[in-house]
Amino acid sequence: MVVLDPAHGGTDPGARGTGGIRESEIVLSFAMEIRRALEQQGFQVVQTRQGNENPSFDDRSATANAQRGAVFVTLHISSTGLPGTVRVYVNSDLAPVAGSNGFIPWDRAQAPFLRLSRTFGDFVQGFLAQRFKGSPETAQTASVRQLRTTAAPAIAVEISSVTVEDRAELDRMAPGVADAIARGAAAFKPSYVVPSTSGALP
Amino acid sequence: MTPRWKFLFAGGLVFILLVALTFVPILRRRMKRAAKLQQQSEEQARRELTQPIAINPGDPRVKTKLFWASDTIDATLVPVSVDLPLSNDPVLRSKQVLNTLLAGPVDAELRTLPPDALLLAFYLLPDGTAIADFSEALANSVPSGIASEQLAVNSITRTLEANVPQVQRLKILIHGQEVETLAGHLDLTGAFVVNTKPAQTPVQIAPIAPGADKAAAPAPAPAPAALTPDKAPGRVAQPERKP
Repeated sequence: MVVLDPAHGGTDPGARGTGGIRESEIVLSFAMEIRRALEQQGFQVVQTRQGNENPSFDDRSATANAQRGAVFVTLHISSTGLPGTVRVYVNSDLAPVAGSNGFIPWDRAQAPFLRLSRTFGDFVQGFLAQRFKGSPETAQTASVRQLRTTAAPAIAVEISSVTVEDRAELDRMAPGVADAIARGAAAFKPSYVVPSTSGALP
Repeated sequence: MTPRWKFLFAGGLVFILLVALTFVPILRRRMKRAAKLQQQSEEQARRELTQPIAINPGDPRVKTKLFWASDTIDATLVPVSVDLPLSNDPVLRSKQVLNTLLAGPVDAELRTLPPDALLLAFYLLPDGTAIADFSEALANSVPSGIASEQLAVNSITRTLEANVPQVQRLKILIHGQEVETLAGHLDLTGAFVVNTKPAQTPVQIAPIAPGADKAAAPAPAPAPAALTPDKAPGRVAQPERKP
């Protein structure tokens, strides 16, 4: 299963371009395209928002954390960077989880998954680099708030950028981004063994 | 009411109306002026409180590394060396280098921080944790996005790392408050490690065959050994929610 998170929404438009482009709208249309590509690969897809709502960071993470064996992809459009490139981010190092009560602290839920997220991110970034010249070859590291509370292999995909004059330039990238994410998820799937412990998440 | 009282009552009303018409605009002008003066004095006080730490020419001149954006590689920082007289006191020194960083490079295109952002306060705890309090302009004016927000924070942490070895970690506040993100993406709830950089572990990707865009078979990337989470995860503790 893949949990797709079109970022922002509602009163939060995200990055805004001079031509009236709003990040929250573009990521929603990208999510539809990515969903189709993932379903063609046989994945079940859950979205954190279907329309112009703005769930909190925790609510979005909760959607992923409630699924067993899911991976999480949050979608963003940048306001800087070379237009036509795409970057994948995984969360920066987090303090290891050392709870003795069997619970993972919510605010560090990503900690046990960082290695898996890195592998997943490198697969997706590799496929993106083949399609979008100028994109990095491997996933980058950043302290992305949305990823920190997600208890699953989780990546952020950021497309450059809202500064394009015509929205069509971004729309043309959607099929390539969708295909790369679907291929990356398919390539990652065999390497992800979901623990069978009763009650374990994911 | 007799006609005489009616006349007096009407006359009184007209008098009150005339007085109001004369004095209300004057009163409004005075209130506006007072509000403007108050606003000016607040701005004055803020500027006086946040005066950049003056470079003391008596301090030893040090080759200072400041990290601004690269003009050739996207979303990358490059060090720029500048000879500056810097204090030996780590707090004063941190304020001096951060204010120089905020002032920006000669080429304004290579700025990493908004031109109107101010460093309001800087503290250094005995355990090496620094707390930098910036004005709201840092959050409001930095371009929104993971890359741009990370570049802004990295330019601060790497400049501190290069010039103030006493700083081990950095906590960023906005106008004295802890905020969840810088501009919607980058997590500001924790402290940034100033010295270490995570290693990259690239995965080899098989090339996509020409015309394979619509092919059903995914490119067979060499799968690493099966991975499981670093620690078999238990349940996720739920976040605290406000009632």
